[in-house]
Amino acid sequence: MIKVYLPELGENITKATVSYWFFENGASVVEGNDLVEMATDKATFNVPAPCSGTLVEIMAPEGESVEVGAVLAVIEEDTVAEKEGEEGGA
Amino acid sequence: MKALQNCRVLDLGLVDYEIVHDLQKKIVEDVIVGRAPQTLVTCEHPHVITLSRRANKRHILASDAQLKKMGVGICITDRGGEVTYHGPGQLVLYPIFDLRKDKKDLHLFLRRLEEVVIRALRSNFGLNALRKKGMTGVWVGPYKVASIGIGVRHWVSYHGLSLNVKADNKFFNLIKPCGLDVKMASLNDFFSDGVSLDAVKVMLLESIEDVFGFKLKGGMGK
Repeated sequence: MIKVYLPELGENITKATVSYWFFENGASVVEGNDLVEMATDKATFNVPAPCSGTLVEIMAPEGESVEVGAVLAVIEEDTVAEKEGEEGGA
Repeated sequence: MKALQNCRVLDLGLVDYEIVHDLQKKIVEDVIVGRAPQTLVTCEHPHVITLSRRANKRHILASDAQLKKMGVGICITDRGGEVTYHGPGQLVLYPIFDLRKDKKDLHLFLRRLEEVVIRALRSNFGLNALRKKGMTGVWVGPYKVASIGIGVRHWVSYHGLSLNVKADNKFFNLIKPCGLDVKMASLNDFFSDGVSLDAVKVMLLESIEDVFGFKLKGGMGK
């Protein structure tokens, strides 16, 4: 299981609000996909998926304020066989 | 001394919000993977009200019928902030900048965009342009003249700032800008002789070069 954290967004930014989830629990995601839009002041920041796999749990619902470093979601990473299958099929 | 970063300018004129939004997203994808240079899009939009995903729709004060009658569209978009109006006479700048080459700091980027406007208005127009504590944007006295809202993907920015140059201020009464009780004004309101949009554009481009350490290419005959 790979945890998705709210990254550092800049000096003096300690929190951001979950604005929009691009996927629902159970969805397949690809590394680099925008997972969630976070909002702070007049800026939004899209947190990307750190790996390919299944989004097993969204930990912070839309509207929730989240601390930098907190877990936003959990992804079950594709197995090596699944990854090879994807590459072979490309 | 740090080398100047190259950045192209795409000066689009009056273009629909959605068209420029789609274009920005394509350019962002290309900048993320290094297929396109950093890009500054400049344009004006036909009358439109835009809302961020979490904006309160009650901050649109006009009815659907009133908006239709006045030819004002509505778009939900993916920038930060609340409710904003765009229209002719308002200069819009969309900086698609690679913040990985500079500082990965959302709020610093917002402050720099404010600085671009503040320097341009102070040095070229002698206006006492200011920030307001705890707010984003640029004010002249009690009037807000520039609004800012950005989006960032993979540390590449899009959306940006709008400066009211000679906008029709009655359109601002259709909304509660940024969800706040602010008075909006255009630069035109401060000068009896009026202000040229093209002249303001050149000043803002120079200010961007100054604040961001960029060498801009293209646009406005540069």
